Formats: sequence, C-alpha cells, structure tokens
Amino acid sequence: MKMKKFLSLAVTSVLTVSMLAGCTSGGSDGGNNGGASGGVQELTFMVWDDLDASEDLISKGYKDSIERFNKDYEGKYHVKVVSTNLEEYYTKLNAEVAAGNTPDVFIVSPGPNLNDYVLPGTAAKLDDYLNADGWKGTFTSDAVFAGGTYGAEAAGGAGIYAIPLNIAAACVFYNTEMFADAGASVPKTYSELLTACQKLKDKGYTPITISAGTAWCLSMVAGYLCDRNGLNLQDVKDHKTDWNDAKVINAGKQIQELSQYFQDTAVSDDNDVATAAFYDGEAAILIQGSWAIGQINGSGPEGFADKVGVFAFPAVDGSSADPNRVIAKSDSLAMSATSKCPEGAIALIKYFVDDTAQKYTAEVGGKIPVTKVQYDESVAPPELSYVMDVFKNASATFGFYNESLADTEAGATFDSCFVEIFKGTDPAEALKPIQEYYENNVWK
Amino acid sequence: MDKLLRKKSNIILFLAPAFILFTAVLIVPIGTAFYYSLCDYKISETPKFVFLKNYITMFTSDADMKTAFKNSIFFMIFSCVTQLIFGLVLAALLTNIKRGRDFFKNVYYLPCVLSSAALGLLWYFIFHPKYGINKIMENLGLLNKASEGKQWLADTSGFIILPIVVISFVALWQYVGQSMMLYMAQISGISKDIYEAAAIDGCSKTQSFFRITLPLIKPMVATAMSLNAIGSLKFFDLIFSMLPESMRGVGGKAHVLATVIYDQGLRYSKYGYACSVGMVLLAMCLLVTFLINKFVKTESYDM
Repeated sequence: MKMKKFLSLAVTSVLTVSMLAGCTSGGSDGGNNGGASGGVQELTFMVWDDLDASEDLISKGYKDSIERFNKDYEGKYHVKVVSTNLEEYYTKLNAEVAAGNTPDVFIVSPGPNLNDYVLPGTAAKLDDYLNADGWKGTFTSDAVFAGGTYGAEAAGGAGIYAIPLNIAAACVFYNTEMFADAGASVPKTYSELLTACQKLKDKGYTPITISAGTAWCLSMVAGYLCDRNGLNLQDVKDHKTDWNDAKVINAGKQIQELSQYFQDTAVSDDNDVATAAFYDGEAAILIQGSWAIGQINGSGPEGFADKVGVFAFPAVDGSSADPNRVIAKSDSLAMSATSKCPEGAIALIKYFVDDTAQKYTAEVGGKIPVTKVQYDESVAPPELSYVMDVFKNASATFGFYNESLADTEAGATFDSCFVEIFKGTDPAEALKPIQEYYENNVWK
Repeated sequence: MDKLLRKKSNIILFLAPAFILFTAVLIVPIGTAFYYSLCDYKISETPKFVFLKNYITMFTSDADMKTAFKNSIFFMIFSCVTQLIFGLVLAALLTNIKRGRDFFKNVYYLPCVLSSAALGLLWYFIFHPKYGINKIMENLGLLNKASEGKQWLADTSGFIILPIVVISFVALWQYVGQSMMLYMAQISGISKDIYEAAAIDGCSKTQSFFRITLPLIKPMVATAMSLNAIGSLKFFDLIFSMLPESMRGVGGKAHVLATVIYDQGLRYSKYGYACSVGMVLLAMCLLVTFLINKFVKTESYDM
C-alpha cells in the first residue's frame, strides 16, 4: 500500500514538474523573437524552401549565407531556420505573425504580400541601417528598392522596408535541340509562337509545359498576354476600365488557344512537376521566371543547361502595346519590427547581399545580382546571359499580375479566373469573380 | 464515498478542474470566436465591430462558400450513408467469423490511426494522371497514354465534381474501421440467448440481423452517424493533401467549409470572416447532431 502511495506521488510530481517546465520553456526555443540561450542570441529566419533538402541552387546559396553567418558569429548569434514549401509560405508566416512569433528575418515578395506586413507595422523600416556605413551605396541603384519603398501609408512611416536579394525576369525557356529537330524558329510574335508549337507537336514533342495546378504559373502567362494586348493595370485600379475589357477577354481566348499545346496533365501538375517536364526533356518550352535556372541546373541532367535557350515573351500581332516589357521580380528580406535583436537581424541580412552571396547568385544560381559585385560571366550559367539580354532589351519592367493587384486575395482571384478560362469556361463568364471582387472591395 | 459526495463543497471541488479546463479550452474560445465573427479583424489590426456583415457576405456574395456548402453537405450525406452501410456489414461479418477476426479488425481499423497527410500523398499518387490507376489502364491497353486518362483530382465538370467523389471514397476507406469498431462493440454486447431463442423459433441469420441486431444497436447508429456527420463537416486534411492548390484556393471547385476557414483566416488574414464561417460550421454540427438524435430512435433495451 505504501509502495502504491509512493508511486502515485512520484508520478504526480513528475507530471506536475513537466507541465510547469512546459509552461516556462520559452527561454531557449519557445519563442521566435530572438531567444537567448547560454549567451547566444537566437535569430529566426523564415524561408519558402527546405534549405536542407532543396536541390534549387538559389536555396543552396541561402543555406550557405546562413552557415557563413553562424560560423562568423559563433557564440554570439545563431540562426534558426523556419522553412515551408512556397505554396503554404504566406499562410504559415501569417500564422506566426498572428501568434506574436514574427520571425526576426523573413523572405517576402514585394507587392501585396509585403503590404500585409508593412502597412500594419509588422515589418521594420530599414532606412537607418541602409544609410549607415554606406551599405545602400553597394547596391546597383536606388531602383532596386522600389518594391520595398512605402509612403506615409506604412505604419512605421515612409521609407524602405525590404532588402532585395536578386532579380529574376519571366522569360520563355526552350529546348534548342527540340526546336532544331522540329524546324521551329524562335518566335517574335504570338502567331509565330503558335506556328512553332504546331511544328513541335507535329514532330511528336509536347510543345509547352505549364502548371495550372499551381495557379500563379498559368497566371504569369496570362499577365504577359494581358500586357501584350495593351491592358494598363493602373487603368483597372482607377476603374477607367473593367476586368471584362476586350484586352483581357482576348488574353483569355489566347490562353485557350495555347492550351492545345500544353502537356495533358497541366491541370493537375504543380509547378515543380511542370518544370521537371522541361529539364527531363518531356517538353520543349517552359514559360517561367529566371529563378527556374537554379532549379533546372540543380535538378536537371548534366549538360542540359547547354541545350537551353531563352527568348522574351512574344508580341501580340496587331497590338500597339510595347512588346519589350518584361515581368521582373525580386526576392526580398524584411525584418520584424518586434525583433529583440535588430542588430543581429541586420547583420544576417547583410550576409545575403555581400560579395560572396551576390557572386554566387549570378555565377551559380543564374539570377541577376542587386549589388555592384563583379562576377565571372564565363562561369555563370549560360541561361543567365540570355536572360540578361532579354533584360537589357527590355523597355520597362512590370510585376507579376497576381502580385500587382489590390491585395493578395485579388491576385488569387485573378489566378483562379484564368485557370477557369484554361479549363474551357468562356472568358467573359470566367472573369466575373475578379470583376465582382473589384466592385465589392476595390472600386467602392 | 456517499458521505463524501453529500457535501456540496466536495462536489464543486471534484467538478472544478474539468469545468475550468472545459471552459478555458472550449467555452471561452467559442465565445471569443463568436465576438470576432461580428468584427472586421485583419492581421495586426484592432477588431472593428461590424455586426452581421460577415454573415451577410457569406450567404449572399461569397461564391466559395456556396461551393463549400454544396461539397460539405454532399460529403456529410455520403459519409453517413456509406459508413453506416459498410461499417454495419463489416461489423456483422466480423462478429460472425470464427477465425481471423482480430486480424481483419486490425486491418480495417489501421487506416484510422495512420497520418492523413501520408495517406493523402499515397492516394495522390494513386490518382495522379501519370501514375497509379491511369498507368495500370495504360498497361492493360485501355489507354494509349496514362496522361490522356481521367483527371481524377482536377476534373471540374458536373454538379458534384469528380475529385470530391474520389476523396469521399478515400475518406470512407480511411474511417470505415471506426464505424465498424463502434458497431462491433455494440453487437458483442447483445446476449447470445436472444439469437439462440430466435434460432429455435426458426429465424435465419439474415432475419436475426434485421430483427434482432439492427434494432438493438440503434443507439450506436445514432452515435456513429453523429460522429461521421461532424467529422465530415469538419473534413480538411485529405482535401488539402491530395488536391492541387488551384482546386482548393480562391475560386476552387473543391472547397469545403474547413478550407474556406483556412483560406480566409490564414492565407488572407481575415480572422473575423473566418470566425463567422467557423460559427456556421459549429451551428451545422449542432443542428445535424440534434436532427440525428431526434430522428434515429434510440430506445435502450435490456440485452
């Protein structure tokens, strides 16, 4: 009986102690905002890829920057990486923010996604850090900060809220061997693109690989087609035109026309599967951002990079729209306004834009660097020089449509409208949700 | 013990821990969620009271909610009916076999205890147009190319779309073991004397099932149906892990109530609106449980 009593007491004590320990374990790793353990300040860094498992060369570069930082600041700072896949990234980040665990440093795309963190004051203003020690002068120009610059609408006041890491341009990647075999030439216009696709199809190749399962991939093409047809997004924002504008309807019809050249499983495939179909030699054309270079060269067969050519998205025949505009996008880093260790967070961000990281960005990752770093063009992936050509010939850049609309939900609605169009719904009918969204939420 | 429980203070003392816990983790969050459902509440912003605006939007102009209502109600009806039938059949078969009962019981129950994320991935590959079923059909010569076959997880034609039907069957496969276990527990509680008496009176096995087993397990039918209905209304994991993002995001045709809550609350930070959908989901769960318990008569018999 005594033994039983003793055991009950012991079990109760253990449970009580472990419960109390659980309540107070926030010191070392319970919170995300710079916990300190044993004198080492922990910094949380959130990113949209699994840095340990990813084959993507840009992600590997991010991992390398963190490892260099951890080594150089050993005993002072240590970075804890919080990762998730791209599709669920903002969902998880929002949950962290809502729970009061905003990561010290987090990756973000400029546009409505960044707005969600800058306008309410979640992200910190970075001007003071940029202006100290001539850091801002190391960047190629002030224009690289355009996406992260806000006016008085930001809770923290006008200023810069995100540091760009690299620039990518959305281009058309093509398999030169397949093109040569099919006798197809690089298209400059939409009708030439259709001709090239038909030749590839006649030769037994899948002309275009694209993902409609991950809606933004299809919407990127839709954005290009809207732009090439002459749609001005500012006009839509100012309600000078509607979403059922003939230019958007025409873009929808062109998506339907192009879809006959997509792979059979485009509706189910996600972005990774669709990209893999290109570097696995299953399809001849991939319309994607130049970040795909890192994925193609990291996961594709050796020597595949030599087969890849790049051209700018073609003009629409008969349209007066500027055919030299390019969709560009930068990955940027923001810092939490509630970070307990802003000095450490800024030191970490600097490791992503120092010479080592930026040289890697161009020479290995194949993305355009944002600083004045000199890189060896002869060792950089061949695709980068083609992308740079497209970029140099560009008259202007514009953002991804789904990241340039009123808010993230408007962007997602635009994406889903074009998925519906791709599936065969009449464009005028399929565009009703985005029209209604703007009527109810934007043009009020 | 009786003496101990005669004192009111003792009763309160014994009830307090459970009551406090129940209040803290259930009543308070529900109350808070109800308040937020009446607010415009975005991330890092102070909730702004808007009364019924969220509910009005939900029922009048949210296309995703219409899709979610349709799919969730289909899912609930399908789940209640099929799990009742298959759960009962399996329970009746297993209680009547002499060998291998425990083995089959474990086999049927196994999917219930496995991770839905892992199962979702498994079934995703089975229904992927390039692999699984389509590949088998290609190998059998029924298809020229696997990728030309049915888009099991992305076809959006019809009133109830194919991916929802597919996932309903996967959910049936996953959870039928749970219904089976509940029915088996009830069936094994029925006295053998009743069956023996019935057999002496010339009752066949089938007649015994319909005249003795079914009436005596009615209370469990109500319980199992309530659990199935609530579980299927709250269903989320297989939809999320099996379907492409464009099917379950904004404008997606495979939305259910839980994916709308996820989208609005976590993806677009509209916590107020997500709470209002959550309150409607709670109301639906309570209503369905009430209706099942009202219409499935649950008289208890001495077994």
